[in-house]
Amino acid sequence: QSPTQLKISHQFPSGSLTEGDFRDRLCRKFAADVAKATNGSLSASVYPGSSLMKTNAQFSSMRKGALDMTLVPLSYAGGEVSETNIGLMPALVPSYEQGAAWKTAEVGKLLSKVLDDKGVVIVSWVWQAGGVASRPRALLQPEDAKGLKVRGGSREMDMMLKQAGASVISLPSNEIYAAMQTGAMDAAMTSSTSFISFKLEEIAKHLTTGRSHTYWFMFEPLMMSKEVFAKLTKAQQDAVMGVGAQLEKFALDAAKADDRLAAEVYAKAGAKVYDMDEATLKKWQTIARETAWKDFGDKNESCAALLKAAQKLL
Amino acid sequence: MLGLGMLALLAASLVLTYSVFSRYFLKASTDWQDEAAVFCLVGATFLCSAYVQSIRGHVGIEALSSMLPGVLNRLRLVAVDLMGTLFCGFFAWKSWALFHEAWVEGQTTSSSWAPPLWIPYGLMFAGMSLLTLQLAVQLAASLNRVAKGGQR
Amino acid sequence: MSMLAMGLLFGLVTLLFMFSGAPIAFALGSVAVLFMGIFMPASALDTITQNVYEEMASITLLSIPLFILKGAAIGKSRAGQDLYAAMHVWMGRIPGGLGIANVFACALFAAMAGSSPATCSAIGSAGIPEMRKRGYSPGFAAGIIAAGGTLGILLPPSITMILYAVAAEQSLGRLFLAGIFPGVLLVLLFAGYAAFRYKREFKMAEAAYLSSGTHSSLLERETFSTREKFEMLPRVVPFVLLLVGVMVALYGGFATPSETAGLGALLALALIAGIYGVWRPKDVKPILASTLKESTMLMMIIGMSLLFSYVMSYLHISQATAEWIVALQLSKWVLLAAVLVMVILLGFFLPPVSIILMTAPIILPPLKAAGFDLIWFGVLMTIVMETGLIHPPVGLNIFVIKNIAPDIPLSDIIWGVLPFVVLMLLSVVLICVFPGIATALPDAVMGVVGAKP
Ligand code: NA
Ligand code: NA
Repeated sequence: QSPTQLKISHQFPSGSLTEGDFRDRLCRKFAADVAKATNGSLSASVYPGSSLMKTNAQFSSMRKGALDMTLVPLSYAGGEVSETNIGLMPALVPSYEQGAAWKTAEVGKLLSKVLDDKGVVIVSWVWQAGGVASRPRALLQPEDAKGLKVRGGSREMDMMLKQAGASVISLPSNEIYAAMQTGAMDAAMTSSTSFISFKLEEIAKHLTTGRSHTYWFMFEPLMMSKEVFAKLTKAQQDAVMGVGAQLEKFALDAAKADDRLAAEVYAKAGAKVYDMDEATLKKWQTIARETAWKDFGDKNESCAALLKAAQKLL
Repeated sequence: MLGLGMLALLAASLVLTYSVFSRYFLKASTDWQDEAAVFCLVGATFLCSAYVQSIRGHVGIEALSSMLPGVLNRLRLVAVDLMGTLFCGFFAWKSWALFHEAWVEGQTTSSSWAPPLWIPYGLMFAGMSLLTLQLAVQLAASLNRVAKGGQR
Repeated sequence: MSMLAMGLLFGLVTLLFMFSGAPIAFALGSVAVLFMGIFMPASALDTITQNVYEEMASITLLSIPLFILKGAAIGKSRAGQDLYAAMHVWMGRIPGGLGIANVFACALFAAMAGSSPATCSAIGSAGIPEMRKRGYSPGFAAGIIAAGGTLGILLPPSITMILYAVAAEQSLGRLFLAGIFPGVLLVLLFAGYAAFRYKREFKMAEAAYLSSGTHSSLLERETFSTREKFEMLPRVVPFVLLLVGVMVALYGGFATPSETAGLGALLALALIAGIYGVWRPKDVKPILASTLKESTMLMMIIGMSLLFSYVMSYLHISQATAEWIVALQLSKWVLLAAVLVMVILLGFFLPPVSIILMTAPIILPPLKAAGFDLIWFGVLMTIVMETGLIHPPVGLNIFVIKNIAPDIPLSDIIWGVLPFVVLMLLSVVLICVFPGIATALPDAVMGVVGAKP
């Protein structure tokens, strides 16, 4: 059998095996390790920075078998498969440990089943924490949100923020820097890694980090098209899943390192850095429960079941 | 269709202006305006594309090819129209599939407003179908010119 | 098939389809679908429509129709001519003042519209006849308008800068700011040249009059009273308000770039409704129709070119080419020169929109790797693409001028624009030597970020 070449697409900045954005590095490590594990019968090339296709087209292309693999925030597929919105549900996952527990818990099994039905296989379970960068004042407590123009970045975060009194704003990510500079936007939520690559530290005077407690945990798995997966030999399939599982440790360490690094970078640039305590997290969780969680659970039975299973881990 | 396009264009400007106004003066959230404008403008683009084709407004690089002698040039025009018809026909067919899928699965965008995706997909399908028809009519006319040119 | 063979085949088929005279949008789409069908899994064909939609559904790209609308509102109403007339009255006394007035009018219009041909036709339709009536040689008059028109995509707003900002993932607001000083530099160069050339033509006309008594209208003095000057002033005020209003909205933190596009279009429509009484449906319809005609054509090219670049990327053609360029180990400035020369060559045939869409995935990675500031490069690329707009065989601005003044021979136009092409290339060199011309303003307004060239 001739060697199979997979294509992995993602939206993050391009780097190398050892340098750069860890999500890009994870894909490159996957390619290298799978080639090693299968003696070259299966290899992969990485297409960083949306150079193969538009970010929002990745999930659907994978379902149709037109894209082999992608590493993407799962909730980006929220309009297409409503269950995937659980991947960025505010305060539903309070720590990396709880996120890691999903894979083997009931919620993970349910989610895998949903995705399997839609033609997608989860290869590597990756979670990432994030926070808020803001300019006029810190956004730490729910009371701080009142009157701030915030880019929540997802339907669920927006719902929680609106309830807390913020006015949410939608904006392409390449305009975040300029919008914060001019004052069109006061605060933005994203992952620690993206805070580093957006280089907001010069203009954001405040950073609420994800390094202790945060409501901002995003599920960002490495996934494969089921159609493509089914065509692999048993040995190749085992190699894919094995390497994927191994990389979860790498992702966890890298994500935590970025949480610390983001805090250091912003502090060094003169921004005030805040860590969230558990009581504050609980306050946000109460708001999220009434807004984003409720909205999600009311969508359909499958979403309700997922939400219930996820809450069992709390 | 041109009329609809005009309305969509005006609507997009109004919605975006309202967005500035409501955020600044009413301190309101502005999370649906961009998407509403996108739908208007995507719709305007596809719905007007048959009209633009009818006046041969989709520009091409004619500089070298139009130097061909008469008969060859007429044949070239047939080939060009045939290519356009085939491509747009194929695209219309695939956008029907996209529209159908979004309709059946109840797909929405992933924003907090979450409007249904069949709206823009449907506009794309309608626009590309009209464009294909327009191209087919022009292809028939080009073929006719070649036939007439042959008789002379 | 080897990478090289695949790349060559793809390039060849693309050339064939493009030069067949087919609409660029359909040509790019057909090439893509053809290669997908032959070299890619069948499922790829199922994704083309969604890919095109995702490309087009970007609010940044969709501000293009709105910027065109704003330009059309001014250009297709009497507003454009008034702007020109006011400039004429105020510059009347300076030698070559009429030519300079045309350059300034182009610049002011450019600051409201996003495209070059629109700027050419808005100012040229009044400017060229007027300059010729006053004895300017046809080539000179055509050159001023063709060159002045290119300011349309350098001074914000700019359609090509929007595309570039999306392709290079740079902030549009920052890129717009970066175009302002280089735009002003070009205005000064053009105006300086206009004065110089006027003096030469004036001396020649004088000599001709002295030797043979041939009278040229160039020799007539034209004066406007102070009162006339101040009567013209109110006609410019609305434009200045529009310009300042939009700038304040964007850079004062009131609006995002896409909102600014909608706001600007609506303000322009309100302006011509209020001042020129252009508000009845029958008056507004032609403006909307011409906007839709141009924007539909552009948006279709933009959407379909996504398929083209998708295929190039899937078949690894873009990456292999980019890697090949990096592997050449060219020194930074040789690389830059090579890229700019390539853009100039493409400019012989392709409009700027297609150049950006087709080359960005190939040229941006090597430039980024070489450590160039992509905002700064975006300005250089814009100026270089502008030269393509005013030289044959495919120069959109030349077509516009042929439309306004069909009796000027093409050779006159070409000789007329040539000095301006030289001035534009001179400005490219200046911006390379003094990068601050492009970067100082965005750095001052939006803070320093990223690497400097
Ligand atoms: Na402009
Ligand atoms: Na040209």
